[in-house]
Amino acid sequence: MYDNEYFVVDMASCTSTGEIINSLSLALETLNHSGKKIVLKLNESYLNQSQMLSIQSLITSYGCILDTVETVNEDTAKIAENMNIFVQKPIERRVEEKYETPKKEEFEPFTINVENPNDIAVKDVTGLHFEADLDAIQKQQNNININNDLREAGINPRSDFESIEAQISSQYTQVEEIIPAVDEYSKIVSPIPSIEQFEVNFEENKEFENTEKNSIGVYKKAYDENQLQDDQWEEVDFYETPTSDPVVSDTKNTTYINQTLRSGQILEADGNVVIIGDCHPGSEIRALGDITVWGVLSGIAHAGCKGNMNAKVRALKMNAVQLRIGNCYSRRPDGTNIPYIIRSSIFTPEEARVVDGEIMLFKINQN
Amino acid sequence: MAGSVIVITSGKGGVGKTTTSANIGTALAHLGYKVVLIDTDIGLRNLDLLLGLENRIVYTIVDVVEERCKLKQALVKDKKNPNLCLLAAAQTRDKSAVDADQLKNICEKLKEDFDYVLVDCPAGIEQGFQNAVAGANEAIVVTTPEMSAIRDADRIIGLLESKEGVERYRLLVNRVRPKLIKSNDMMGVDDVVEILSCDLIGVIPEDTNIITSTNKGEPVVNDEKSLAGMAYINVAKRITGEDVPLLDIDEPTTFIDKIKKFFAKKA
Repeated sequence: MYDNEYFVVDMASCTSTGEIINSLSLALETLNHSGKKIVLKLNESYLNQSQMLSIQSLITSYGCILDTVETVNEDTAKIAENMNIFVQKPIERRVEEKYETPKKEEFEPFTINVENPNDIAVKDVTGLHFEADLDAIQKQQNNININNDLREAGINPRSDFESIEAQISSQYTQVEEIIPAVDEYSKIVSPIPSIEQFEVNFEENKEFENTEKNSIGVYKKAYDENQLQDDQWEEVDFYETPTSDPVVSDTKNTTYINQTLRSGQILEADGNVVIIGDCHPGSEIRALGDITVWGVLSGIAHAGCKGNMNAKVRALKMNAVQLRIGNCYSRRPDGTNIPYIIRSSIFTPEEARVVDGEIMLFKINQN
Repeated sequence: MAGSVIVITSGKGGVGKTTTSANIGTALAHLGYKVVLIDTDIGLRNLDLLLGLENRIVYTIVDVVEERCKLKQALVKDKKNPNLCLLAAAQTRDKSAVDADQLKNICEKLKEDFDYVLVDCPAGIEQGFQNAVAGANEAIVVTTPEMSAIRDADRIIGLLESKEGVERYRLLVNRVRPKLIKSNDMMGVDDVVEILSCDLIGVIPEDTNIITSTNKGEPVVNDEKSLAGMAYINVAKRITGEDVPLLDIDEPTTFIDKIKKFFAKKA
């Protein structure tokens, strides 16, 4: 409905004036649109006269003209009319078919039964509801519009990973809350093996013994980082035999979480765990079975925490502070932390397994 | 041999308690003393990060209290200095996981093996503060030359005076900017000491190296060129009883200033 001399800025998802001004100046700065007429989509948000004036002056400072305001709010419309700005009501967008609510049957391969939901310290992970949130879809649509504008200008506004993530998150309802399992702290974890972090030895004037003998070792990469070794994947066997009576998890029992684990949160599960999202430093995952993180793993992950040495930890990006498998503990090598993560471009999917009593990282074969 | 337990506290958050703990601890270890740092900020731990030891922690102070491991097992040795140990706080619990008596016991035990036990106190005057102070026989009150920090420091000093165990408390003025003091935009160190009427243990200038050292996980004391690092070493020396004059933080920055200072000294 608008031709080339207009530039449409969609601010419908912004909640505050500050947010509007921030994203507007970002959009104007990245794209060279001087001389164009700006169409501002405000939807429901209310702006008073001074706020409107400041937005107008911002736009004029970039050499553009605030031509049209799309709004539902009548007060905003009046103010805009007083300032000689053209006011329009937004056309209601039709939800496209590809965002239709998926049927439960179609997702059969993904449905996983949690047999004893009470044993897991996470609320509402059992029912995977497939009711799409209409508001979220609308927001997504708005975002896609602004993204299309950016793409036309040759900028890729979001990585593919994030758009996939957005699709997934609209399809599943969010887990309400992850409760740190404070009361039942050591319910799942078996007694920790006697790792001596540091043996204090103060006999008379003896110096501290600077031995690394008992301290926790580093996890290593089992491959050359610059070379993809396809054969290594098949060749390695599990040499380590499980120690006394390991509790091997039931593979059917899998906890599925669609949420970012934040610092201080513990996720305990009596089976496998799949997390769509990142695990931030300071978070901890303990599972009887395997742990799979579809994102960046930066916290502590303890797979097979009752002695299953065959458990695995997988992540799109392995940045874990500590990796623990069964009774095997390892830490991240010093100085390899990635504090600022540039998404997708650095994803190197890796799997951690125990080989010869040491935790090793293997590249996950992409074929 | 019984070492002393020193609590580093401030009341207000963000004035540099944790940075001070990490740096004084490292400096004391450099001087050859056996030092253990205790992080009592359970749930919001940061001291391990400043020392770059976050990947080595298996057991925490909560594990010790709940008897899941021995005390000596939970001590993490520093990467560089074997004289320095850390007893980390748990990230997944809160302040109520430990009570004052338990922390006092831990301090007493560590006192036997170490020359200095430095306790990094959380912000506030609630349970966390009560825990941290319980075992201490000396305190360092950290403040900045701002009214809000000074008021909180005053409150803390009042609380420390009413504690039985704390024999001595001294003031550390952090993040001082000599230029702002000169132009009367910031309170001078003398004013702060006068308001709080408290002994001074050191003055630390504002230093951008602190930011980079925090991100790297290496205390600024290791950087010989850093002014703040030098000031922290002096504070450590004063803790050991050595009489060190206050560092001249008013260092000239430009070449012309240096010349001016050179002539000023002669005259």
